[in-house]
Amino acid sequence: MEQSVISPGNRVKGPEKETQKLKRTSNWKKYMWGYLFLVPAIVIFIIFLWVPIIKGMVYSFYNIDFVKGNTFVGFDNYVKIFNNPDLWLSVKNTLYFMFLTLVMGFWVPIAAAIAISELKFFQGFARIAAYLPFVVPGVVLYGMWRWMYDPVGPINALLGWFGADPVSFISDGRFSMISIVFMETWQQFGSAMLIYLAGVLSIPRDWYEAAEIDGAGVWSRIKYITLPSMRSLIMLMLILQIIGTSQAYQSQLALLDGGPNKATLTYALFTVKNAFTQLDYGAGTALGVLMFVVLGILGIIQFKLNREEY
Amino acid sequence: MERGILSPSDLQKPVNKILYAFMVLCIAVMAFTMLYPIAMTMFNGLKSNPEINTFPPKFFPTKWHWENFSKGWDYIPLLVYLKNTMFIFLGNLVMTIMVLGLASFSISRIRVPYSRAVYFFILLTLFIPATSYMIPNFVNLKELGLLNSYWAFWLPAGANAYFFLLMKNFFDGIHPEIFEAARIDGASELTSYLRIAIPLSIPIFATLSIFIFSTAWNDWFWPSLVMQTEDKYTLATAIYKYVINARNLDSSIKFSILFMVMVPPIFVFLAFQKFIVRSVSLTAVKG
Repeated sequence: MEQSVISPGNRVKGPEKETQKLKRTSNWKKYMWGYLFLVPAIVIFIIFLWVPIIKGMVYSFYNIDFVKGNTFVGFDNYVKIFNNPDLWLSVKNTLYFMFLTLVMGFWVPIAAAIAISELKFFQGFARIAAYLPFVVPGVVLYGMWRWMYDPVGPINALLGWFGADPVSFISDGRFSMISIVFMETWQQFGSAMLIYLAGVLSIPRDWYEAAEIDGAGVWSRIKYITLPSMRSLIMLMLILQIIGTSQAYQSQLALLDGGPNKATLTYALFTVKNAFTQLDYGAGTALGVLMFVVLGILGIIQFKLNREEY
Repeated sequence: MERGILSPSDLQKPVNKILYAFMVLCIAVMAFTMLYPIAMTMFNGLKSNPEINTFPPKFFPTKWHWENFSKGWDYIPLLVYLKNTMFIFLGNLVMTIMVLGLASFSISRIRVPYSRAVYFFILLTLFIPATSYMIPNFVNLKELGLLNSYWAFWLPAGANAYFFLLMKNFFDGIHPEIFEAARIDGASELTSYLRIAIPLSIPIFATLSIFIFSTAWNDWFWPSLVMQTEDKYTLATAIYKYVINARNLDSSIKFSILFMVMVPPIFVFLAFQKFIVRSVSLTAVKG
């Protein structure tokens, strides 16, 4: 009873300060490992990601010379690339490439996933067959398809059966980009197909049952149940594909070096060539900054879509 | 019987029967198109050189030239390149588990103050397209003096926001009671990461290993920039420089080498299918 008479202020003040101090040191002790675990990642992310990203912005205003040192040149790099007619050609080629991948490639995994989900036998085999090209290394892919596309290769033999004249798929500027898109679709559609297949198989079966009782035919079941259920997945894959294809350069570089007559010179390949063929790293970085601005907008859209999903 | 979009009664109708048969035919054509170039890479590697260039192409070799493989094996020092590739793969794996794993463990389980800020600091890099900073990245490595060194692969391997996210999500799913119990028993955070979190996370590490392996095995362009002497080339870079771009190499030898390079990833795929299907569905959540 006596204790309650003592003013609460006096009683609490001293010990509370003590506990706060104690709490702070024990906090440090408690979280020391947590902070130690984060330090290496933070340091590496700064040195190997954030520094290059920021250096990219800065260096686009510099002339980069590894021997004599870098010199500030203002907007010279930008002026130089905007005056290069290859810039607009490469933008056009990239848009053409993106268009072709959408027309020739985007629907394939969706159709294949729906078809394979309906297989009663050999579903596993069809899945493996569709996915197997995805594990073929890029360099093997190039060697393989150079032969496939050869004027005396198997595709021309097939065309010959139908009475068509041989086509030089790679070295003819009219077909070179289409050939690259076909090759890449061959390699990559399997992984998208597996993603869509998981989507198709997760649709409850009784929805189809109910639709069928209501008299919906097979096509309307696909049109009104299967495809709408995968809407957000399809949108996500579309954005991912656009982001991916807008940065494409490896097949174009390996198979044709941007040729014939710059018909497969994409924007990213133009960037790479500026930097590593002409050794003009300043112009290369400036091109990278422009790409960053354009793709950053797409990245934000993807993030928004993803947030809706999860 | 389990139904799909089609029910058994649909297949009674002749129109649907024909359409279904057509669909099966399309899948069969697809499967053939997928497997044909892979099979031909193998069979071309066993043909004689003139036979590859006959028109129309033959499927099986008339005579099996097994010696192509030993010639291909001796054409370039494949073992050296294989060693370099595996070196990069293992180093990247260790860096991923130690640097990214520890960081994601800290953010997921220890939740230090300001961990949200660190989380977004890491995640923000996902939205910056890799090609846009490829050239400053190269300049940066050059300025750091890391070119032609394995560290140019190992250190940046610890800066992968996507792998970080995958591991963080996995650790989020482990029951916190396990770690509480370990803490009460006096285990340090490092011990609980090494002795509890890692063994419980074998599935996600397996998936990451496959990702890292396929990058190390398939990447030819970036290593060809970073590694500047022949003895450091990765397998893919060496194949690109000495086989794909070779002028005077017999097609039969070329295909035998390509086949040898293709076999390990196919083997990994068939052996670890379960993890790969998981990893494929993870790419959909990327970002």
